[in-house]
Amino acid sequence: MRRNARLYLKLQLIQLRTAVEYRADFWIGILGASLMHGAGLVFVVALFGQINEIAGWSAWEVAILYGLALIPRGLTELFCDGPWTLRMMLNKGEFDRVLVRPVSPALQVVTMLASIHGVGQLTLGTVAFWLGASRSDLDWTWWKAAFFVAIVISSWIMLCAINFLVNLIGFWEPSAQSAIPTAYAMLIDFAKFPLDIYHNAIKVLITVVAPYAFISYFPALVLLDRETAWTWLGLASPLVTIVVVLLTSRLWKIGLNRYQGVGH
Amino acid sequence: MQTAIAYRVTALFQIAITFIWVFILYALWDAAFLESGAIAGYTWDEMRTYILIAYGLNALVGWRVGGQMMGTIRTGEITRELTRPLNYRSTQVATAAGLSVIEGVIGLLLVVILGTLFFDVQPPDSVRAAILFVFAVLVGFLIKALCIFLVSLLCFWTLSSVGLMWAQQSVISILSGTLIPIAMMPDWLRLVAEVLPLRGIVSTPLQIYLGKSQGWDLVGLLALQVGWLAVLWVFSDWAWKAAFNAVEIQGG
Repeated sequence: MRRNARLYLKLQLIQLRTAVEYRADFWIGILGASLMHGAGLVFVVALFGQINEIAGWSAWEVAILYGLALIPRGLTELFCDGPWTLRMMLNKGEFDRVLVRPVSPALQVVTMLASIHGVGQLTLGTVAFWLGASRSDLDWTWWKAAFFVAIVISSWIMLCAINFLVNLIGFWEPSAQSAIPTAYAMLIDFAKFPLDIYHNAIKVLITVVAPYAFISYFPALVLLDRETAWTWLGLASPLVTIVVVLLTSRLWKIGLNRYQGVGH
Repeated sequence: MQTAIAYRVTALFQIAITFIWVFILYALWDAAFLESGAIAGYTWDEMRTYILIAYGLNALVGWRVGGQMMGTIRTGEITRELTRPLNYRSTQVATAAGLSVIEGVIGLLLVVILGTLFFDVQPPDSVRAAILFVFAVLVGFLIKALCIFLVSLLCFWTLSSVGLMWAQQSVISILSGTLIPIAMMPDWLRLVAEVLPLRGIVSTPLQIYLGKSQGWDLVGLLALQVGWLAVLWVFSDWAWKAAFNAVEIQGG
């Protein structure tokens, strides 16, 4: 365990250093990622320039949702973006190399890539959350602060697991082209806005199929002391993370056992 | 164009992914219009139509065109293009047109299916509006292709193109009026968006479609677009020559 942690830090640091090495790319990457999510924020600003609140949510409360979605996303891209290389590795047969090394395959996959532009999302998310939290009526108590930290960590772990989960498709469908993983990852955009506005089908989609609502909406209900029938789900968020992690590790093992190489 | 058909499913998915925001926007505005009948001169009927068609239009010249233009420069393949006795800018725009036919057809299909099933989209304001809409879309298409071409020139200086693509897509989605109609933007943003050519991609065609722009206003809008198109056409040719002379090609 300690050896793994040390290895992880070392490998990840190398990846981050590599990313910083190409100056122009580094800054453009950060700029691009910030703009991508910033565009959504510009939209929110414009939207609330026209109306005061949406389904009972003010602009600052939506900013909280935005922040809760972006912070773990940024952390995940920084520290756990490796699974996105998995499908390409499987496709090209490079995965053989991973399997013969004396380090756990999962650890190697995680450290395959560190997307430095996660910094952009992390910053943007932190600013959005901070602004939202200080300008809406969010009463901080010590347990809420603890809850917030717990939620960020739990969301981060969930998104890391989801990174693995979606890319495991590579074990079953070896073409590296599939857009399903990207689509699944993109569903998080729904969770940047209050669930109340969506059609029931979408509510089910981002609660059950892709549990992104447990990252932003449900925890936000708890933080804002909203008394709805669903508020308790915010407290259950870490449990959902555990379920996702267990499911992912199970499928990962099945996938590993299935892997037969590409015929060298 | 044939390159584009080869990866059908991928293309379909890539376009479908951008449509996630159609559902988000629909839900948001649906909730917003519960409180008031009209926002910045738009009714809910018009807004629905706007959201859906805006994304359909923005799907024209999508990821793949930009990716391809950038890839040509990044991999050094550009040298091969240069040996051809054709204007590089024009060939790139023509390739974009080919790729876009497919993206356009898929986007259009999605718009029609969603439009009739869920969105209850409004028809064009009048026959004349419909004809001018098609014209404006064509001009907008060329403007977008040229803008992406100009951005792709930056690839002479960078190694990877992903960041550039993101930046470009986001700026376009805001300033073209895809995410939010120009009339609803805060003042500072509206001033910028009204002057720049990007509005020609989505906002101008839609204003014509919905009959928001009539008479001299309409003439002015179209003139602005055609004017920008001419400027970009000349400028892009000059810019790529300048860029090409300025930098060496990777591994060349």
